[in-house]
Amino acid sequence: MINRLTRMGLLTALALIIFMVEAQIPPLVPVPGVKLGLANIITVYAIFTLGPRDTLLILLSRIFLGSVFSGQMMTFFYSLSGGILCYLVMLLMRKLVTRRQIWVCSVMGAIAHNIGQIIAAILLARTPALIVYLPVLLLSGLLSGAFTGLCAQLVVDRLHQP
Amino acid sequence: MIKTKTWIFLFSLLLLGSGLAAGLLFSGATTADVVEIRQDGRLVQSIDLTQVQESYSLVVTDEKGGSNTILVEPGRICISHADCPDQVCVRRGYLTDSAAPIVCLPHRLVIQAAGETDLDAVAQ
Amino acid sequence: MNRKLFLPLGLLLTLCACGQAPAEAKTSQLFAMDTVMDLTVYTEADSLMEDAARLVSRLERSLSTTDSHSEIYKANTTGSAALTDSTSQLLDRALGFCEKTDGALDLSIYPVVRDWGFTTDSYQIPSQSELSSLLQNVDYTRIIYSSDQKTVSLPQGMEIDLGSVAKGYTSDRLIQLFRENGVASALLNLGGNVHTLGTKPDGSLWRIGIQDPLGDSYLGVLSTADQAVITSGGYERFFEGEDGTVYWHIIDPKTGYPAKNGLISATAIGSEGVYCDALSTALFIMGPEKAIAFWREHQDFEAILVSEEKEVFISPGLAGSFQLTEGSPYHLTVIGHD
Repeated sequence: MINRLTRMGLLTALALIIFMVEAQIPPLVPVPGVKLGLANIITVYAIFTLGPRDTLLILLSRIFLGSVFSGQMMTFFYSLSGGILCYLVMLLMRKLVTRRQIWVCSVMGAIAHNIGQIIAAILLARTPALIVYLPVLLLSGLLSGAFTGLCAQLVVDRLHQP
Repeated sequence: MIKTKTWIFLFSLLLLGSGLAAGLLFSGATTADVVEIRQDGRLVQSIDLTQVQESYSLVVTDEKGGSNTILVEPGRICISHADCPDQVCVRRGYLTDSAAPIVCLPHRLVIQAAGETDLDAVAQ
Repeated sequence: MNRKLFLPLGLLLTLCACGQAPAEAKTSQLFAMDTVMDLTVYTEADSLMEDAARLVSRLERSLSTTDSHSEIYKANTTGSAALTDSTSQLLDRALGFCEKTDGALDLSIYPVVRDWGFTTDSYQIPSQSELSSLLQNVDYTRIIYSSDQKTVSLPQGMEIDLGSVAKGYTSDRLIQLFRENGVASALLNLGGNVHTLGTKPDGSLWRIGIQDPLGDSYLGVLSTADQAVITSGGYERFFEGEDGTVYWHIIDPKTGYPAKNGLISATAIGSEGVYCDALSTALFIMGPEKAIAFWREHQDFEAILVSEEKEVFISPGLAGSFQLTEGSPYHLTVIGHD
């Protein structure tokens, strides 16, 4: 029990630090929603080593605290819609991929995350025209998802050698 | 289980497709004549860029006090300053294509090419 | 003086001259008088928008029927009230409009509107006897107003509401404030009541859409400057009875029922917001024949009247500035002078 709590606390803290540090880096491409999403490494790691429930708790805590620390309530809605969709897709993908294909799961999750964000943006800004950002966000999801996925793959491999 | 090679092939296709689409959507050099500034989907102002003779700036403030300064120049428009943390809207530069609007998500502000209407207001 | 200083000084002076700021648009959004107000003002003065917000909230507090600090609330609940300059001025004008429109506009209709539920959004169809008894206290001629003492008193059972002219008056006061502060260009949209000051900064006319009463889009476009453009229509607030009948918020003071006299929208255009606001309601209630006759008699405003038969009547002064939307199902007629 204590082991589990400690592990979850540690992962949440790690995710939050990564999230906050990344927020300090100016965006590479001036398109809303395009970013590396490094905190996703933790979510991917958790989904493969902890249960779905613990992963969800870590994810929600990180999103909530991240929004509080950055002082942007709008961030909360975008992160939440993206985060939840990403989580659901990765949960599904976990059953479909092998231990060597963790990065695939991450790519699908990142794409889902960006689609979730664009839906939230369309609803919040009431501008259906934002859909034109979809290709850019798909591209960004593919690349950043592959990158964070490979990172998570490395971590899982090193920490949980069979 | 699907082979890793298959995944790579699928992702490559998607990469190519979305890359092409993104390139097409953002590469256009034509600027819209009439643009709309909207916040929360509500029309704040519409501007006929062909009618602008002298540059001026426009400050739009949302209900929580977040503000964007919009620079209106003859034939083009951009956000020159914003007090949001990510500055994505400022870095986006000029609105160069009618398909991709300038967006400030933290302030739910959108600058886009006007559809059929170029009205300043609607009496209702 | 050191000669080397001249160059940078000269440069600085040149820069200052070039840096003469072009007119800057300031926008602000206010939530007042049960509606959203969008103000776009071309001005350099930062404080002007705050002054405008203060003016609106002050007027709202005086004119509200529900705020217990308001003068109107006091008059309605105690039967009489002392009025501030603004309220007194507005009441004076409003009573004049009631008379001019021969009671099509009546400030004392408020209890009937409330009984229909239009003030609270809990709609109901009042019984005929209920309406008859409420209508006994609907008669603006029995409002006792003293312009010298700035007081109003109401007979037992009468209640008044300046809502039909409050937004128009507010836009007049805002325009006056901006004009006094040297603003040459502004666009005010007080929940669909549009009021323009001057032209657009580039000298072109403002393009104002007129809501299509039967659809989501707009009926046509009016190019205008320095005018208030105010529309009343049944589509603004209405509910549907169990039998499918539509009941809207513009009540005919003669019957106590929603005014269904042949018009589905009425727009008044003129330099004065308060007059146009009163007129848009009154013309709607009058119906097409009386409204056209009213315009012929006075000719101190422009009008766009939309009838149930999709006939759009415009006053001759608008013939060059109003255009129906392309492919519109409406038919345009210019009202003759006689």
